[in-house]
Amino acid sequence: MQSVPTPENKTAAETLLRPRKLQVLGILCGFTAGAWLGAAEAPTKLVSVGVSPIVISLIMVTGVFLARWSLPALILGTSSVRADLRRAPHLIIWALLAGCLWAVANTMTIFAIRDIGLSIAFPLWNSNSLLGILWGFVFFNELRQAGWRRWTGVLGGALIMCVGAALLAIASSTQAPAAHSMRGVWAALGAGILWGTMYIPYRKAYLSGMNPLSFVTFFTFGELGMMAALAIGYLGMSRLWHELTSARDVLFWLMLGGFIWVIGDVFQQYAAKYVGISRGIPLSNSNQLWGLLWGIFVFGELHGSGTSTYMQVVGGSLLMMLGVGAIAFSSAAGKEQAHWKQASLRESQRYNIAEDYVAARMQGMQTAGEVRPPRTMWDWLLVAAATGIFVYFGTLARAPRMFFHWGPALLLITATVALLLVCGLTLWRTTRFN
Amino acid sequence: MQPIDNREPRRHWLPSVLTDIHFWVPVVVLIGGLLLLELIH
Repeated sequence: MQSVPTPENKTAAETLLRPRKLQVLGILCGFTAGAWLGAAEAPTKLVSVGVSPIVISLIMVTGVFLARWSLPALILGTSSVRADLRRAPHLIIWALLAGCLWAVANTMTIFAIRDIGLSIAFPLWNSNSLLGILWGFVFFNELRQAGWRRWTGVLGGALIMCVGAALLAIASSTQAPAAHSMRGVWAALGAGILWGTMYIPYRKAYLSGMNPLSFVTFFTFGELGMMAALAIGYLGMSRLWHELTSARDVLFWLMLGGFIWVIGDVFQQYAAKYVGISRGIPLSNSNQLWGLLWGIFVFGELHGSGTSTYMQVVGGSLLMMLGVGAIAFSSAAGKEQAHWKQASLRESQRYNIAEDYVAARMQGMQTAGEVRPPRTMWDWLLVAAATGIFVYFGTLARAPRMFFHWGPALLLITATVALLLVCGLTLWRTTRFN
Repeated sequence: MQPIDNREPRRHWLPSVLTDIHFWVPVVVLIGGLLLLELIH
């Protein structure tokens, strides 16, 4: 006998399907993050003047800072950010810590590229995904009782991606290893460890129910503060100021790179929230593939290279896609999800956060009776100020004369924007950005 | 009518942070990173 569908049955079915829906959403966020993080490299390729790498990093982080305040203000409103903060004030410390880790890691990559070249450095710091899997398992119950098939999918996929990344990096590298090879290896490994560990605060925030858009607004203070301290410490105020003023023609491109990077990072945060760090990090690491597509087809980076280079690119890309596919098809099932809930319960009990609030936010929902605070005048002022700063630097910017293919660029922009729209719309429909 | 809150009285979050292993792992890694950066610079 068939049962009559009632509103109660429908709600029960939706509750059962919800975890699966969120897993698919998290994987989609990981893909989109990869595309946008890879596209962030494009504006920085326009900068070929003799600016110090630390100054380049500082300017990008300034663009990141503007984006990390204006985007949440536009999407959610700063009142929601404040409400999130009142519920879990301890997460400010974690957000600042994560920002500091990011800034130190980013600076290390600059030294690594200088000393050993991108081909060796990139695969070394890409090992952050393996460390993410370890921290996810040890601290947040990820992959517990996941079964050998999912373990193989996640760990095997991450390893395959590392091999693919190595092939792509070798193909895209034009630098020969310099004299300080061991120093470069340490720098690259250090960056991987710092970035892999940075995901501990990420996951912690989301197991506590914090909205990714709220987390990034505080993350950026650690990021900008640490980066400014490193720039002043290594260059000194007068040299830093001199470099900033002499680079005013390219400030806009670097800040734009930072802005695009933030869009990718917001999706990366949602991926870490809905599929965990063990799956979210490797999926976001597909940015290397997108970066290479921009490099080859838009900036003609491998123009005139031999067949073996192109073989490496094709082989590396296929391996990256295989790894991404393996991870995407290894989403967390019922038993593992129960372990996630235990990890979430630990957070709510330890930090005295209402369990119903955490449970609702883990499902991308609001608690019963919760009203989202409306946007205020301050939100629009923030958006207007950030836009104004970008427009101002845009008027100072000069387009450099360099090799640029508009056809592939438009194709890549269309694909990246399409992913943004599809993923953004799915996020809105499923979670209302909760 | 306001719902009754049966939770324990709210304690300050700082002691909970400082006694959390999740906090010290990133702190140690950050200090190690800064030392390494100083060494390679």
